[in-house]
Amino acid sequence: MELWDGILQGFSVALDPTNLLYVFLGVLIGTVIGVLPGLGPTATIALLLPLTYAIPPETAVILLAGIYYGSMYGGTITSVLLRLPGEAAAVVTTFDGYQMARQGRAGPALGIAAVGSFIGGIVAVIGLALLAPPLAELAVEFGPPEYVALTVLGILLVTYLGAGSVLKSLSMAALGLLLATIGQDPITGTTRFTFDQVSLFDGLDFVAVAMGLFGVGEILHSLERTDAVRAVTSKIKHIWPTRKDFRDSSGAIARGSVLGFFIGVLPGGGGVISSLASYAMEKRRAKDSSRFGKGAIEGVAGPETANNASSTSAFIPLLTLGIPANVVLALIFGALLIQGITPGPQLIDQEPGIFWGVIASMFIGNLMLLMLNIPLVGVFVQLLRVRAGILAAFALLVTMTGVFSVNNDTFDMWVVLVFGVIGWLMKKTGFEPGPLVLAFVLGSILERAFRQSMLLSGGSLEIFVTRPISGTLFGLMALIIVISLVTTRRRKSVFGRVEAEDLAESEEATPSDAATGSTASRQRDGGPVVGRDPDVAEGDPGAEAVVRAGDPDPRAGNDPDIPSSRGDR
Amino acid sequence: MSAPPSASGTVRERSRDRSVLASHLHRIAPLLLVALGLLALFQARDMGLGELTAPGPGLWPFLVAVLLTGTAAVLVFVDPAEDYEPWTPATVRIMGGLVSLGLFIVLFEALGFIIPAFLMLALWLRVFGREPWRWSLGLAVAGAVLFHLLFVEALGVPFPEGVLEPVLGG
Repeated sequence: MELWDGILQGFSVALDPTNLLYVFLGVLIGTVIGVLPGLGPTATIALLLPLTYAIPPETAVILLAGIYYGSMYGGTITSVLLRLPGEAAAVVTTFDGYQMARQGRAGPALGIAAVGSFIGGIVAVIGLALLAPPLAELAVEFGPPEYVALTVLGILLVTYLGAGSVLKSLSMAALGLLLATIGQDPITGTTRFTFDQVSLFDGLDFVAVAMGLFGVGEILHSLERTDAVRAVTSKIKHIWPTRKDFRDSSGAIARGSVLGFFIGVLPGGGGVISSLASYAMEKRRAKDSSRFGKGAIEGVAGPETANNASSTSAFIPLLTLGIPANVVLALIFGALLIQGITPGPQLIDQEPGIFWGVIASMFIGNLMLLMLNIPLVGVFVQLLRVRAGILAAFALLVTMTGVFSVNNDTFDMWVVLVFGVIGWLMKKTGFEPGPLVLAFVLGSILERAFRQSMLLSGGSLEIFVTRPISGTLFGLMALIIVISLVTTRRRKSVFGRVEAEDLAESEEATPSDAATGSTASRQRDGGPVVGRDPDVAEGDPGAEAVVRAGDPDPRAGNDPDIPSSRGDR
Repeated sequence: MSAPPSASGTVRERSRDRSVLASHLHRIAPLLLVALGLLALFQARDMGLGELTAPGPGLWPFLVAVLLTGTAAVLVFVDPAEDYEPWTPATVRIMGGLVSLGLFIVLFEALGFIIPAFLMLALWLRVFGREPWRWSLGLAVAGAVLFHLLFVEALGVPFPEGVLEPVLGG
């Protein structure tokens, strides 16, 4: 009964005209930035954080969540048409989606991705509504040691499941924790690392740090790449998949929904991990696995379903435990903190409007996305014509003025600038900003919980292992470290294959593209995740891939669906 | 990595020296982190560590700084050079961009929003976006006025007193 009351309350919040408008804005912005390569959901949400001050908390989360899952839909479009993943999770879609586009089946690829994403999203929303309340009830019993265990688990998973080196991610997490200690000590009030600057007494502003690292850092880094965006010239036809397409992909969509949901619940699991897992599963199950990588519709349907399901279920740890599962959710967590709400087990009871409102808005948002995506794909593709230079100039102005409006203080503008430089340098040196920001958000919670635990136990560290829940969690962490050591090789092999195929592909394409200025390096740049992943190029799996990709491909060379480069202008 | 073969011995020697130096250049990043970690370690110790039974303000920063220094110290030795992107001539452009952003903040405090916003948009569109002059100036004027209206009129953000704003009715 309580569930129904909650759902009814949720819809009364989500159907409020203002909130409806913000869901729509969120999914629209999400789709748009998903299409625009270079501007991912993380950067966009960071840029829009100051705006959320002005609106009520439930509206803020509804907007930001919409951007997140909206970008999952939008990222598909460029993956299929241009082989450029608009955001990280869409990398997997380039394997088969782009091949489908080359065979003239771009329409059904996009159609099945939208339908799959919709189904995955809805399944995950239902799972979220069913699973979150009992989980929160369990978590109400948690004391400081459990929170230490949970926050450490969250940080650990983000460092382990990220794309880069674990050690580098770990050192960035340490830096984030250190930056979080700037300002007054939460218990004694002593100032720490403030260097007698009054502006630092309250610590660094989360919004300024996130905007600098993700917004300005990203823009500066993109200035160095001179690659031009290619426009799609061919028309997309027959978006609605045929009955056969549906029959072929229904199993993949069903499996992708469930798989994505459960992977998303794990901290660090949303997005790219779930789509990779789904792709691997579909390929293993297929009767003829050689079709994969050559335009198998299951290879698009499964991963697209899974990544949308996981981006929804990733809200479960945030809304029930107060632990953001990934960087995007860390930003949403920050947005709630700014509003004076600390997400945690009490959220469902104390702020039912936010909890159920967000769930109901996800249902509505997914419906809107389905309606937006099927008929309007052609319109979104036109967005690729917006030149990166114009985008960068306006994004910078919005960032700088936006961050001023948070505290009406120019000090925050300097903080953005400094962290912009740090973010850019981190990109150049292969350090990931994600763990830093997550650790920065969780830092004060972790410190407080740690010190309270020490007071509880009389200074004994045993408290973390002897209490059943925190002991289990620390045991789990040990397990994760072991498992991750074992699976690192396998993840590398998946990434390795993409990169090698990409390379071979671009070499193939170079002769015909040379006239228009396309180069192999630009194609490599196309895949933000793959291209920048330091682990990509190494390892033996690449060797196998080169052989495979070297197979003669009758379609290569003259291909009506490969878009022509339009150069800088 | 390896020195490229070249005709003259001295050139080869010099280029090998340079490449050996360059191949270790990337270690600057973890070294900086080590330095930062050590600085934090000493600062935290000065704040007072207290005991585990009664943690002082410096204890937590100290633990975190140990983690930072430790991981960064290992990275100095194990981090592969492939992780690092090369420095390009475009890096200079970025320095220019950074200076322009700093200048924007200074001018923003002195002249209000509209003039610095126009200047920054015009510069970024023309120089970094390589838009033609007509587009750059047009978009810059439109952008500056539009964002002034959005932030000041619609959202009521108190920007610093401006020179042009009274004219526009700010």
